[in-house]
Formats: sequence, C-alpha cells, structure tokens
Amino acid sequence: MIEPTTANATRASSTAQEEPPQSRSPITSLLLRQETTLAVVIVLIGVFIELRNSTFASVANLTQILQSTVIYFVMACGTGLLMIGGGLDFSVGAVFTLGGITTAWTLVHGVAWPAAIALGIGAGVIVGVINNLIISRLHVPPIIATLGTFFIILGVNVQITGGTDILPLPTSFQQLGQTKIFGVPVMILYALAVGVVSWFILEMTRFGVNVRALGGNREAAIGNGVRVQRLDRALYVLAAGTAALAGIIYAAQVGSGQVEAGGASTTLQVITVVLIGGTSLFGGLGSITGIAIGAILLSEIQDGLIIAKIPPQYNNIVTGTILICAVAFDHLRRNRLYRR
Amino acid sequence: MTALPVVIDGIPGAPGTPSLELRDVEKAFGQVLALKRVNLTAYPGELHAIVGDNGAGKSTVLKIVAGIYSSDAGEFRINGERVAWRGGAAEAHERGIAVVYQDLALVECLDIATNMALGNLPRRGRLMLDRKRMEREAARVLDDLKIRVGSVKTPVGLLSGGERQIVAVARAVRLDTQILLLDEPTAALGVRETAHVGGILRGLRDQGKAVICISHDLEFVFEHADRITVMRLGYTVGTRSVAETTRDEIVGLITGSLAPDATEADGGKRT
Repeated sequence: MIEPTTANATRASSTAQEEPPQSRSPITSLLLRQETTLAVVIVLIGVFIELRNSTFASVANLTQILQSTVIYFVMACGTGLLMIGGGLDFSVGAVFTLGGITTAWTLVHGVAWPAAIALGIGAGVIVGVINNLIISRLHVPPIIATLGTFFIILGVNVQITGGTDILPLPTSFQQLGQTKIFGVPVMILYALAVGVVSWFILEMTRFGVNVRALGGNREAAIGNGVRVQRLDRALYVLAAGTAALAGIIYAAQVGSGQVEAGGASTTLQVITVVLIGGTSLFGGLGSITGIAIGAILLSEIQDGLIIAKIPPQYNNIVTGTILICAVAFDHLRRNRLYRR
Repeated sequence: MTALPVVIDGIPGAPGTPSLELRDVEKAFGQVLALKRVNLTAYPGELHAIVGDNGAGKSTVLKIVAGIYSSDAGEFRINGERVAWRGGAAEAHERGIAVVYQDLALVECLDIATNMALGNLPRRGRLMLDRKRMEREAARVLDDLKIRVGSVKTPVGLLSGGERQIVAVARAVRLDTQILLLDEPTAALGVRETAHVGGILRGLRDQGKAVICISHDLEFVFEHADRITVMRLGYTVGTRSVAETTRDEIVGLITGSLAPDATEADGGKRT
C-alpha cells in the first residue's frame, strides 16, 4: 500500500493490515489498534521517568534501551509468528542458551564463525522440528510439549558445557556483536533486519496470510485446503530458529557462551512481549510492529525504573500490570471488532 | 486445475460420465458405523440434493468427498476416474471440488477478500501475495452474484450470519470448479436470501457444473433441485427426480415409512 508520505499520520497508520471496516471513523479505528495504546503508554512512562531523572531521554540512554530490546525482539518475532498461527513455544528460553553455547562451543573447537553461527541456528531448527513432531505425532498439547523440551534442553545445555561458560571467543566473532555503524550498535541493525523480514513474511506473503488463517480458525484453514501441517512445522522452526539466533547475538555481545543466560525468565519475557504487543493467545491477531513496541516498552520499564531510582521489585509489578491491562484490552478490542 | 469436458444438457436422465460417483461407500468412526452403504451419482449440469434426518450421514458423505475423511470401503470416482485422497482438502481442491461447509469455515479476523481466496491465494512471484488481484477477484465474483456486503476489506467477523453464509457460497463460486458441494447453504438465511442462493446454484448448474447440496429445507430442495438422494441411518435409500416424485414420497423415505429401493445397490444409476 503506497501512500504519499505527506499524508497525515492518522490516515497512514490506519491503512495498515487489520483494517477495520469503513463504517468506523478513522479516530476510532486508530484507537482500536494495540500499537497506538502502547505508544501512548511508552510516552507516558517516558515523561514520568524523565521528570524524575533528566538523563533518561539522553541519546546514550535511549540507545541503551534499544540495545536491550534486541534479544527480546528477535526472539519475539519468531514466537509471535508462531502464536499468531495459534501455536505456543515455552522452550525458547532454553533454545536461546542452546544457540549461544552451540556456536561458542564450535568456535572454541576451531570452526570458522560463519559455520559456527549456522550450526547454532541449526541446533534451534532441530529443536523446532522436534517440538513440532511431539505436538503433531504424539498429540501432546503445545504448552506441555515445549515445557518438556524446555527442561530437556536446559539439561543438555549443562551437559554440553559442563556447567561453565564457554570462552574466550575469537575477536572476529565478538566484533559481530560489539561494533557500531555510524554510532549505532550493530545489534540494533540485526533486530531491524529480523523485524523487517518477519513483517514482510507476515504481511506480504501467502505464507503470512495462511498463518493468520491457521491461527484465526484452524478448522477453516484445513477445510479450505491450507496445508496446515507444513505451516505448523515452519512456525515451530521459526520460533526456535530465532531464539537460537538471539542466543548467538547475545554470545557475540558478551563474548562468551553463557550457560546461565536464558532459561525460564527469558521464555516468559518473550511471551510477555508478544502478548503485550497485541498478539492474541488464541491466534490470528497480532503484528510485528506491535511486538516491536511491546519489546521497547518492556526494556523502557526495566531501564527507566532503575534510572528513576524506583526499587527493582516494582519492575515486575509494573510488567505484570501492563501485561494484564494489555490482554484485557485485547479482549475488549476483539469484542468490538467481531460480532458474536 | 485441469480443464474438464463440460456436458451441458442439464436434463436429468441424459447419459454421460458422472462428475461424482460414490459406490457402496462405508465409513466407521471407532465402533460407530456412520456410513453403511452410500451410493450417489451426480452429473454435470445437475443440482443434486441430499436429504435425510439428523445422523443419516449426510455431512460424513460431504467430508469424504471433500478430502477431510477417507472412506473405509467402496469406490469413489471423479469424472469416471477412481480416486483416493492422500492430500486432504488441498488435493480435493486441485481435483476440482469446492465445498461450502455447514460451519462455513470462515476466518473471522481476515477480510472478505482473503477468506474468499483462502487455500488458493493469488501469487505474485514465488512467495508474495497479490493482494490487489485478490481484492479485485473477490469484488468481481460478489458483483457477478449481485451480492452486496460492503467493502471486500471488511473483516468477516463483522458480518451477520446471513452475510457470512453468502460469502462462503461466493468463495466456492470463485474457485470455478466442476463440482460444488454445499452443506446446508440456506440454514442461516431469510426467505429472500434463500431464493438468492437458490438462483446462484441454478446458475452454476446451467453452466454445466455438478452442484451437490445437503439440505433440511424440503421447500428449497423441491424448488431448485433436479434430483434428490435420500439418506437414512447411514444408507442411501433412494434417488428421485424432482419432476417425478412428491414431497410425501421423499418424507416417507426419510422417515422409513417407505421401504428403501431394491435397486439401491446399483448406485441410484439411471437406467
């Protein structure tokens, strides 16, 4: 959809994917978008923190927020696509670690970094395939299947590393996570690339439409001849693959394969980002822009509360409150969007 | 989709290769025999109704033809060629069968145009969706059928039950297949909309398509169908030409107060 960039912002943003019917006023439809609400919340929190500590809005701090968004966002792209397709993956936090340590382990055993990265992502892909096989062949519900593989992979991770971090990693690899291009940390550019590709897949390809159909009404997708089993497999592979990729980016950033990185809290943070971003737990609805804003919001809270010298326990309290509000809003939105 | 020879005669009783033929088809779900012996023959240019009480097995027949279930025994032919589904509904699509399910199989969060193209999305390049073409096609089909549901970009979740039903019918029409199966296509419709759908189905028949329609609505069936196959308790008990039967006879076959045809074993074939 190409519109002149001079068109006012209200118009332009309301023409995006889930376009509400024309009978609704542009303002109502804009307000009904999860992204709008989240952007407002981000600004409000930003203003609140800035008032308490004026270093918040500095370029250095905002860059820092974006940088800490990268890991969650990259993972949330894959997990988000999966959840829009009606799936769920609890193993991503462990796959994150697995991706990082697989790449680190192969690096310290003399493998060149491009191959090491490929092997790290490959480890994630294998987990995705296994998750899908457990769900489709053994008929274990996704939440249980991936919770099971989550624990298994946590164990495997310790088995691979002997419980200690893998280091030192070659500088050529570390540079991949630490250099800056025109002052912008290269990590942020990776996240941007993953985001653009994910957005393209979801909004512009037949695959993306089929994913929405699958999540929106699985029976209907089957009845209309959508090849759902292939889609399912691709989605679990994407979720685990991006989790492994995020782990590799993290390993490059910190310069080691950390066995303690990731885990349950990472899984929960990623799912929280996806849900806050307006993705329905029941599938069908959701967008990559929403997920991006959700990820930024979460990083903003984590960063901002420290800067505003608010005790750390409030971090979780605020995150939990925002999650509940976001999902309640999602429900409200669905009710307004559809007749029942 | 292969081009199929179209036999436009539309006259019941005319010979020709049936578009769809089921012979002695059986289907069990665990211990329950859903279909015990089903014979059905539908010709090009025919509007063929399947009637029967709840639990007679009508929807199971539809799902076998649609590729959702596979039959346990019996023969299933499309245009004279014996088939056994392996690829599910996608394969049925490719073999020229379009289906309107009783639950309509629409995705609420997607718009009308996308719903109408589902399973057969127009492509641009290898992977991309040609959204413009999709919307154009949807608008054209709705226009041709004189269906007014507003913009094709309206999410299906916003439509009324009747509008949804008509979108589901339009989707099947868009596929332009030789065989159309509809499960209770008028269930949610008012009088005028029912007549509209009847008109659409007759139009498709006149184009030489085989239109097979499951319905409870005998009034609709007698007004629009050419032939009626009656199902009872997992059997097909008889097939009648609408011109040569009465409502009493059909009701009798449905309820079992009339004995099933002795010739039923030959598949309701016209002699």
